[in-house]
Amino acid sequence: MIDGLLMIGAGFGAGLFGSLLGLGGGTLIVPILTLGFGLPLIKAVGVSLVCVIVTSGAASGVYLERRVANLRLGMTLELFTAVGALVGGLVAFLLPERLLEVLFGALLIYVAVTMARRREPARAAGDDAAPDDSVDSVEPEDPAAVADGSLAARLSGPGYRVHRIGFGAVGSVGAGVVSALLGIGGGLVKVPVMHVVMGVPLRVATATSNLMMGITASAGAVIYLLRGGIDPYVAGPTAIGVFIGASIGSRAAHRIDLRILRGLFVAILLYTAWQMLQRAIA
Amino acid sequence: MTASNPGGLLGSATGAGFAKGSQEPGPPGLERSIARVLTIGTYASIGLIAVGVVLMLADGIGPLSNGPAFDATRLVPDLAALRPAGFLWLGLIAAVATPAARVLASLIGYARRGEREMAIVASLILVVIALSVALARSLEG
Repeated sequence: MIDGLLMIGAGFGAGLFGSLLGLGGGTLIVPILTLGFGLPLIKAVGVSLVCVIVTSGAASGVYLERRVANLRLGMTLELFTAVGALVGGLVAFLLPERLLEVLFGALLIYVAVTMARRREPARAAGDDAAPDDSVDSVEPEDPAAVADGSLAARLSGPGYRVHRIGFGAVGSVGAGVVSALLGIGGGLVKVPVMHVVMGVPLRVATATSNLMMGITASAGAVIYLLRGGIDPYVAGPTAIGVFIGASIGSRAAHRIDLRILRGLFVAILLYTAWQMLQRAIA
Repeated sequence: MTASNPGGLLGSATGAGFAKGSQEPGPPGLERSIARVLTIGTYASIGLIAVGVVLMLADGIGPLSNGPAFDATRLVPDLAALRPAGFLWLGLIAAVATPAARVLASLIGYARRGEREMAIVASLILVVIALSVALARSLEG
């Protein structure tokens, strides 16, 4: 009973702070379950993928209703993230756990450094995974606003044109592999690829990435689920906690001064990365 | 919406046609339908998982007591007997299936609109998901 409540609380904390800082729950769930509850990393990743799906599902609905996400671009790229997730999900069961722990430690360091260098909340580049009331409306992609018949034009939206679809596809495969290997949404890869490489406005890239997270995590989660990588007694309480925490966090994010929280979080992420690497080496 | 009236906005790749679109209330039908699928699927799965968690806590089952692996044949008996594992697994399956349901809804929507290219993309995504299931099952055990 107490463990169950603790796990709900841990999920709540991961969802709340992940949402406040634009990280999504995945980055935090895996270290909490492995370092805090002693779960094998592979099972923590499976649970984390479920959490990514439930939080991104609710958020994506909001983004679509508000016409922020680019559905055509998202669906085209998620074909590639799904392929990456399929590969990552299969490879995850073949890799030694220590190697996965090293990879996760490196991911945490990368997130901490990215967060430390960022002036605004990390929502733009992270696994933003919960409904966000602060999102302004952006018109959806509009086939009638397309000047020519090229694929790039068809995937573009009003006011911007998509470039380098090939790079986007390759980046999406990478995002899918990372997602399924480490149990994250993959927004850390997808948002920069869409925004910097493909020329998609940041807000649209964030919302579109969120939409893609569902299928990306789902393609990986199916493999974890059928191969015994998801424990329902762990996934249930954690998913409920993350969902509630992310919902509250996304509504509170724009009312809270996040500078101190972000600084504290960078320290926690670096400490967690150190713990994860120590565990891998030990 | 605009798909049925493309001529008036052709030549406007930079948002000039966008003003016309923005005058229409609410999101286009397909986006709205997909958003509904996602919202209903997510809340239904969270609801089922929540019931499972409540039953789990009521039965004094700890999260670290090694839950049962997924077994489709156990699902209905577990649900009928109000066992937590039944609700938890059904909720988890619903959660994992919701994104695929969204893609299926997109496939139907794009096919109805006559957008063959996007319908093919949606079909291929579903093929990849099916491949994930098939490969995971073949490697099971």
